[in-house]
Amino acid sequence: MDHYKSVHPLKYYQDYLIHDLRPDGRSISKFRNIAMNVDSITTANGSAVVRVGNTCVVCGIKAELGPPRTEEPENGFLLINVDLPSLCSSQFRPGPPSDKAQVLTAFVNNIALQCGIIELKSLCIQADKLVWTLYCDIICINYDGAVADACFTSLIGALLSVSLPKVEYNNETNVISVNEETKISLNVLCKPIATSFAIFNEKTILVDPCEEEELLSSGMFCIVISDNELCSIHKPGGNVLEEEQIKKCISKAKERTVLIYELIQATTFKQKLL
Amino acid sequence: MYSILFSDAEKTYIWDGVELNLRNDGRKRNDYRPMELETDVVTHASGSARLRLANTDILVGVKAEIDVPYPEAPNVGKIEFFVDCSANATPAFEGRGGEDLANEISSALLKAYDVLPLNNLCIVPGFSCWKLYVDILILECGGNLYDSVSLAVKSALYNTRIPNVKGTYIDGTNVDLQLSDDLFECWKLDVSKAPCFVTLCKIGEYLVVDPTVEEEACSTASIVVSVGENGSITGIFKIGEGSFHQNAICDAIKLAGTIGNELNKTLKLALEKEENLGIRRERYGFLK
Amino acid sequence: MPVDSFRVTAPFNTTDYRVYSKKQNELPKTVQKERHDGRQSNEHRPIVMKIGILSQAKGSAYVEYQNTKVICSVFDPREIPNKSEYSVNGGLYCEFKFASFSTQKRRGFIRDAEEREYSVHLRRALEPAVIRHQFSNFQVDIYVLVLENDGSCLAAAISCANLALANACVPMHDLVTAVSLGLFGEHEIIDPTYSEERSCLSKPYVNQAEQGQGIITVSYMKIFQQITEIVHCGIMHSSSINHYIEKLIAENEKIYNLCRQCLVGNILVHLREKKETEAA
Repeated sequence: MDHYKSVHPLKYYQDYLIHDLRPDGRSISKFRNIAMNVDSITTANGSAVVRVGNTCVVCGIKAELGPPRTEEPENGFLLINVDLPSLCSSQFRPGPPSDKAQVLTAFVNNIALQCGIIELKSLCIQADKLVWTLYCDIICINYDGAVADACFTSLIGALLSVSLPKVEYNNETNVISVNEETKISLNVLCKPIATSFAIFNEKTILVDPCEEEELLSSGMFCIVISDNELCSIHKPGGNVLEEEQIKKCISKAKERTVLIYELIQATTFKQKLL
Repeated sequence: MYSILFSDAEKTYIWDGVELNLRNDGRKRNDYRPMELETDVVTHASGSARLRLANTDILVGVKAEIDVPYPEAPNVGKIEFFVDCSANATPAFEGRGGEDLANEISSALLKAYDVLPLNNLCIVPGFSCWKLYVDILILECGGNLYDSVSLAVKSALYNTRIPNVKGTYIDGTNVDLQLSDDLFECWKLDVSKAPCFVTLCKIGEYLVVDPTVEEEACSTASIVVSVGENGSITGIFKIGEGSFHQNAICDAIKLAGTIGNELNKTLKLALEKEENLGIRRERYGFLK
Repeated sequence: MPVDSFRVTAPFNTTDYRVYSKKQNELPKTVQKERHDGRQSNEHRPIVMKIGILSQAKGSAYVEYQNTKVICSVFDPREIPNKSEYSVNGGLYCEFKFASFSTQKRRGFIRDAEEREYSVHLRRALEPAVIRHQFSNFQVDIYVLVLENDGSCLAAAISCANLALANACVPMHDLVTAVSLGLFGEHEIIDPTYSEERSCLSKPYVNQAEQGQGIITVSYMKIFQQITEIVHCGIMHSSSINHYIEKLIAENEKIYNLCRQCLVGNILVHLREKKETEAA
């Protein structure tokens, strides 16, 4: 069986797809299980670990103080970086970030900014003098497809678990005092969640592809839903899609987003109880 | 790291010799090769030294500049080491070849020099301090790099003269620095607590001090011990691919402590003797 | 810090808010007999070890020393890049990385000098244990990521990497374990936490005379009774080294038993699963 798979992987997959099945036992429209855990890393202000099937992603948020931009004196900073280290898969070599990592970073940053996950004005302590800078670093530990899904989910989970200390800025003496006893949490305005799809042979669309399926696919695309509204469709090249197919995928993504919201709710609620 | 062509017969020859306490060049296991040291070889540096340990040639220059101290340590100065493996030493060091070795040596020096008190390098607490840039140039590799580098660095720091600068803190973040009128008024750094490295190379069952390139090639592992004032140990690390038995390590460290103590004392005497010759001493520079 | 053009960075330098906090100045500068987490001076923190957790790596392991969390993955041997000569012994390429959120002060993404130094120590600790002539001219990649650093990260990394190598079926002579010892005058504490490590390395070194101050990490192979790596920073007297090393070796032997238990347990689980699938 394994010889057949390594000699002719495409035919191996096609033989399964004819019966509406995938080698790991899922149907073509079945999503993998998701597990989540928040606030496990004590050195970070907020953290979340998300597992989508085998893909595992850790998001850690560190908050630091700094001056704001002159043209936006009341806005703090939300800086998101996605890192795909050599640890997560043999296709990534040590050195500067690969193209995939840079594309993901840009994608997540764009969505976060445009959707307005956090009101940047809420990160301001003293206009024109002192603002919070939130460094959200998303590190992939195991790369098995659908990393974008895991990235967004972990980002939302981590942001919901952030607790910042109260900072006071004395205008006259320019002295900053931080009270670490008080904890302020962030107000997350919207929760964009991504769902990845892979296109096979122009007709079949696989939902939540794993890494092998990503490599064999003839195109990939990602739909981001936020609060039951379409936020973004990211389709970098690949096969053409018809309108009907896209509509079906959007409704599938909406269903999944609802499930993920329930998961986030349950996890963060449990954390608050603890 | 650089490698030399070495046959098994030569390895056996060296192993057997070490067992009989007779090395290739006639030394005993605990003998150092003759060293030549000269300080103040580079005129534009605050302090400098050149050390020749048989075939190993190290040149160290120290420059002092004014900098802002770290926020978590406002009363101390800073020190930074940079090692440059010159391609003169061996063609393997050309381009970035010697970078790994250079990084190892500089991080070892940084950890070992943690014990050197830098309080007197502070000018105005929290605003201004001296930063010492120690630049080490490896001109030739004849084995035993760590020892020679540490001795040369200690000598260069002994030779370092830092100008007398007084600083007063004015409102805001401005510091006013005043140099004295006499341009040559300066003070010397106290290096009595500075450590020096002792490399003990394990060949067979025995430990050998100051290994040559050939001896390094036929050993599996070496221990480098940084010895400070009064024989105290300020850092230990292992180099090479082999491993040690517990007793071997304990013996090595004790031996290194005694040897390091002797080395520190001898170096101090030599440096004081050179200093006493005054500014009219005969300078050789690179002629010898 | 060199400009990182591949990643999103802040336009200005930001500072850690803890610098301005009153709590910062209350951190203990000395080590007391009663440790702040209630342990005895020679008590190690509870350890969690898990192997085979990453599907994409050939071998992987996750080790937790209470709050210190380290993950390691090992990949198949591959050709050594940029090398033209044949090498009889295979090579080990170790990369040690702190996650940016793993320490109190945020770390950058680019490897700094401390991480490179730890990578070298990791490699030296593992090299004697691996049977390198069985993969001549190839190198095995070992990647270690510290998710949270609460002290003893090098020791945890070495133990983690050794489990990952065993899980990846890389031929080894023996298992390598590592333990850290913190010294502060008369106090000798096994497995110091981050704040205890800071106290042990705090300057000026007050206990210079007879006793020591600093941290020693020793990695050990139990069956061969060989110390594969020793790292010491701080100051100590050469006469006390025997005592410290004996203490560290005794602790290493306990961790060795744990590693073995973990590996054997993993194999038994796999055998049981195989039996169940064959029966079904």
